[in-house]
Amino acid sequence: MATQKPSKSTRIRPSSFHGKKAAKLHRLLRTVSLGRLGLFYANELIGEPFGRTYDIVNKKLKLLPPRTLADIEDTDATNELINDGEFVQPLTGDEITALKQSGTHASDIIKLQIEQHANYSLKTEYSKEKYKKRKEAKYSKTFTTIEPTLFNVCEYWFNKDRDRVRDIRIDALSQILHMANIRPGGRYIAVDDASGLIVSGILERMGGQGRLITISNTDSPPAYPIMVTMNFNDETVTPVLSSLNWATADETHTPLVPPVDLSPDQIKSDRQKSRINKRKAALDLLNSNREELFAGGFDSLIIASEYDPWSILERLVPYVAFSGSIVVQSPYAQILSEVQTKMRALPQYLGPSLSEVWLRRYQVLPGRTHPMMNTSGTGGFILHAIKVNDDETATGMAGFRRHKGAAKTSNGTTPTPGASTSTPTPVPVVVVAEDDAMDDIAEAVMDDMEPEPST
Amino acid sequence: MWSTARDIADGDTVIIWLTRDFLQPLTVTAGKDFNSKFGNYRHSDFIGLPFGSKVGSRTGKGFIHVLRPTPELWTLALPHRTQILYVADIALVVAYLDIRLGSKVIEAGTGSGSFSHSVARTIGPSGRLWSYEFHEARAKKASEEFARHGMSDFVTLTHQNVCKDGFNLTDEADSVFLDLPAPWDAVPHAKQALRKDRTTRICCFSPCMEQVLRTVSALNDAGFSDITMYETLVHQHDVSHVPVLPPISEVAEKLKKAEGIREVKRQRQIAAGQRTHEPHGEKRKRGEGDDDGAEAGAGAGAPGSAEPEPGKRLKTGDEVATTETVSVVPTTATAPAAVSKISVSKVVPEVRGHTSYLTFATLLPPLPASALEDAKQEPDETS
Repeated sequence: MATQKPSKSTRIRPSSFHGKKAAKLHRLLRTVSLGRLGLFYANELIGEPFGRTYDIVNKKLKLLPPRTLADIEDTDATNELINDGEFVQPLTGDEITALKQSGTHASDIIKLQIEQHANYSLKTEYSKEKYKKRKEAKYSKTFTTIEPTLFNVCEYWFNKDRDRVRDIRIDALSQILHMANIRPGGRYIAVDDASGLIVSGILERMGGQGRLITISNTDSPPAYPIMVTMNFNDETVTPVLSSLNWATADETHTPLVPPVDLSPDQIKSDRQKSRINKRKAALDLLNSNREELFAGGFDSLIIASEYDPWSILERLVPYVAFSGSIVVQSPYAQILSEVQTKMRALPQYLGPSLSEVWLRRYQVLPGRTHPMMNTSGTGGFILHAIKVNDDETATGMAGFRRHKGAAKTSNGTTPTPGASTSTPTPVPVVVVAEDDAMDDIAEAVMDDMEPEPST
Repeated sequence: MWSTARDIADGDTVIIWLTRDFLQPLTVTAGKDFNSKFGNYRHSDFIGLPFGSKVGSRTGKGFIHVLRPTPELWTLALPHRTQILYVADIALVVAYLDIRLGSKVIEAGTGSGSFSHSVARTIGPSGRLWSYEFHEARAKKASEEFARHGMSDFVTLTHQNVCKDGFNLTDEADSVFLDLPAPWDAVPHAKQALRKDRTTRICCFSPCMEQVLRTVSALNDAGFSDITMYETLVHQHDVSHVPVLPPISEVAEKLKKAEGIREVKRQRQIAAGQRTHEPHGEKRKRGEGDDDGAEAGAGAGAPGSAEPEPGKRLKTGDEVATTETVSVVPTTATAPAAVSKISVSKVVPEVRGHTSYLTFATLLPPLPASALEDAKQEPDETS
């Protein structure tokens, strides 16, 4: 273990999660069980950096060097002489079990299997490598700790149970966080029926600065089980996150609460007094959270919900600031298509767009690089729009063509840019570069774009 | 970074949304004008409006939306100096490299600064972005841009060829992003710049597979592990609001009705033919037969057929002789129902098919000497 103490979150600490099997480390528990791999003492792992690989030997951990990509010599071997169903392995399953029980190391069992394998020498080097890998995965007692970064946590839950995360794959999750412009110090509203995956992402990107109000369907504060696997500390969560539910988030609703303002003669005991004080604190908190939501001005609204997204938008969009982002996720394109159609009819939604994420992972090995044979078919759909301050008096460019034509025939020259005279006479419409920044785009677009209203 | 105030002030950067595909950045400067094909505006008209306002032009014709800049809008509006990274790639890279508040990140090259703005937003002022650009003019422009966007305190831009001269950093960065023609030359420098007291990560962004392969071996040689590669894309969907597709029973009813009309007509022709054997009647009959192709057996009966007016030419149109076809087709079946509509979506006809390959790798803290000794004594037989 390192003697120098690096920043807390970069090392495995008690109560941190690791591995493709999520496991929580407690000093008190003393041992961690990894199923087939066996048990080891939790203390062995605490203080270690993430990402290392270990072998379990007598409940202790032996550190292994990281695996490197071995260059494999290409040979002329082919599978020409290898037939299915041939008897190639004299070592029986029972014998292997006996070896395992006698404590023979995985590498020795594999070595033995290779020695006895009738056709091993016929295999190509690639095939030999694959064979060894397969056997290693079967017998070895090694494991690697994986840092619970947002990427790894999302991948873990997506692979484990994608229904619970509403098909949100990491590419979708990261795009949602970017489209919603999540940043430290921002103020957001989220509806997360994806086990807290969205909330976890938002909280991590906020880093303990700003506000996140979530709306849930439960009476008590929502559980968000994924948050627990993120190794968040109190400072990241407590000052930032508050939750309301669909009843308390309703402005017309008055929550029914037991009385808290009792006259001194009604209070009979200290216990009753402390109970009332607690109740009062809870009510004050609820009221302040509601006031905060209803006051609005939030930077973005993020929705991944099992409920009708339009009903959620109708309720919560009034609390989003102008220029704020609205991001709705769904496993189904159809649901978001309906929402997009409704959005298009309302000018407060600017540029609603529906997109589908696509991700492909590759196996990268020298001489054997190719896309993975199996991959996830979907990572969900995302609808994004910007809330804008509509101006009903502003009209589109109807009659623009006529106007433009007239201007061209009457006056071939361009109007003087930056003219500060306030003559209200119609000016021929041309793009005049104000800023180096827009030069090339403006020119490029001018050439091939038909005038259309800016929606 | 950019203004977080509700209202636009003089000097603010805004994004002008002209159309979905045409966005422009603008620094609001009182006294200047903004002229576009969607009308003419004075910058002073924007000042005091909330970000996100729709603004009508001075002539009353045309409007624009004036938005608060975000890294994502900036990516769509920014002046291209190079090929740029888009949100799908940026988002995946930021997630994989675990960039967050306070992260120390290296980026080379800066290019048009699309990735830089996104990283700056995420790391915040307590983080650090070292950005390197080997093209002098581009470096200068980017540097000015970062200053204008209030990023200079935590974003450092260096005009340097990192493949040759490295990053001038040792054990400082949490992650490295390389968008270079030859990232393999920068990999050893990246290793030097990365911290060794924790797990750190690198991403190399290359459009070609050949570049990926060279990068992978450079990463492997430099001691990076967990090397993997991703490709990510976004498929935009077109949404249409269309009438519910009609069932085949509707078209079947139409066809049956047409069939009934044809039969009635045929019967009339037969009746007309039988009544008179006038010479011009023959002629007329032949002409009609050519029209609708009804040349069936003349002996067939004509149930319920009324006497048509001789000499009146029949049409195959729907409105003809509804009284006669009642028995064949119930008219209720053709009564139009209220048209209900559904929303459907499909991927737009042309999408970006490839951006780049994202090669990721991890650099673990060096193993303690004791573990290395163990590994030497007991070499892993299987690998």
